[in-house]
Amino acid sequence: MDHPNQLKMTVYTALFVALIAMGAFIAIPLGPVPIVLQNMLVLLAGIILGPVWGVGCVGIYLLIGLVGLPVFAGGTSGIGKLFGPTGGYLIAYLPAVFVTGIISNKFKKNILFDTIAMIIGTLIIYAIGVPWLKMVFSLSWNKALAVGIYPFLIGDGLKIAAAAFLAKKIRPLI
Amino acid sequence: MATLNPFVFRPGHSNLHYLDTRCKFFLVCIVSLSLLKANFPACFILLGTLIFFIQQINLELGQTLKHLKYFILFLVFIILARALTIPGDPLVQLYGISITHQGLYEGCLVAFRFFLVMVTGIIFSNTTRPANLKNAVQWYLKPIPFVPEKRVGIMISLALRFLPLILNQANETRNAVHSRCGNLEKNPVKRFIRLTLPLLKKTFLSADHLILAMEARCYCENRTDPEFKPSGKETLFIITSLGFWLCIQFF
Repeated sequence: MDHPNQLKMTVYTALFVALIAMGAFIAIPLGPVPIVLQNMLVLLAGIILGPVWGVGCVGIYLLIGLVGLPVFAGGTSGIGKLFGPTGGYLIAYLPAVFVTGIISNKFKKNILFDTIAMIIGTLIIYAIGVPWLKMVFSLSWNKALAVGIYPFLIGDGLKIAAAAFLAKKIRPLI
Repeated sequence: MATLNPFVFRPGHSNLHYLDTRCKFFLVCIVSLSLLKANFPACFILLGTLIFFIQQINLELGQTLKHLKYFILFLVFIILARALTIPGDPLVQLYGISITHQGLYEGCLVAFRFFLVMVTGIIFSNTTRPANLKNAVQWYLKPIPFVPEKRVGIMISLALRFLPLILNQANETRNAVHSRCGNLEKNPVKRFIRLTLPLLKKTFLSADHLILAMEARCYCENRTDPEFKPSGKETLFIITSLGFWLCIQFF
């Protein structure tokens, strides 16, 4: 390790990978897509770690899920999960965490911009996840929106509010 | 710590414990891909094979299922969601809501596949040391340009060590919140924050201690990694799994 900051970020990134995995394990099933804390922690990783380490964190999370560790929603895993109905949501975490990290880095320590960054991140997740869900299940747009977005909107709002508050409290710790 | 979750390594002397981790990665990928198209007979064959390995690694089924109660609930919801939403011949009709034959069949099949993926993951994590996992990931990532495979390996092994720690701290925090009647709070955001904020603070503090300990020991990425020790049964496992995958694809 060349720089102490690099070691620090390596450990924090590993910690966020573990937190995202734990968040995915606590899943509330509702139709084909379960409600999980994982997306809140993904966006929080973007805010706390920044765009580069955030992408690294999500990349490693996806990698350990793909190689077989049960870290995806509800404790599932494997390469098949990427081709399943929630595969789009998983892939979307990468651009979402990157964009959230960039916006949050530009306007540091501002709860309003953190909230905006997470809303944009959530929209990116839906923009990729819902068409994927539609394609896998051959659903109509109305049905895809009904099972892929509407049941989660209130939960997402609450999660973003909680995450913005948590980000404000956690930032001074690192 | 190991009793806290079913995903940690448990030492043993089974065939899977001695199998090269790179081969185990490959097997998990093949099983996962096979399950995408697997029907009930194929799922039962795989279940039988997994039960055989579970017995070989002396995994306590009762204890494991207790830890997986939320996951089992998740499977029940999947079955119900499919049974109620997929159109077909009605099996039961109540107040205009019908459970269909096709929906129930589809739901049970999807839940069965999820269950098998979960069991495969548990067997994999119970028989693979985090250090070997790290090495295998490094080995697979080495040919990919611009990927710092050693750092990725370190992060994976650290993340795996953080998992039981977070579970332990989550239980402690939950007990502390309950003892202060925090579970009676009606506002879901407040309830959520009262649990997660102390938990995150605790885990970040643990991470800080780890950073200090690593710095104090002059930790560096370029350490000598343990060598891979193939058991000699890798070819048999790979051929069998590929055979299973091909059978599912063509029959």
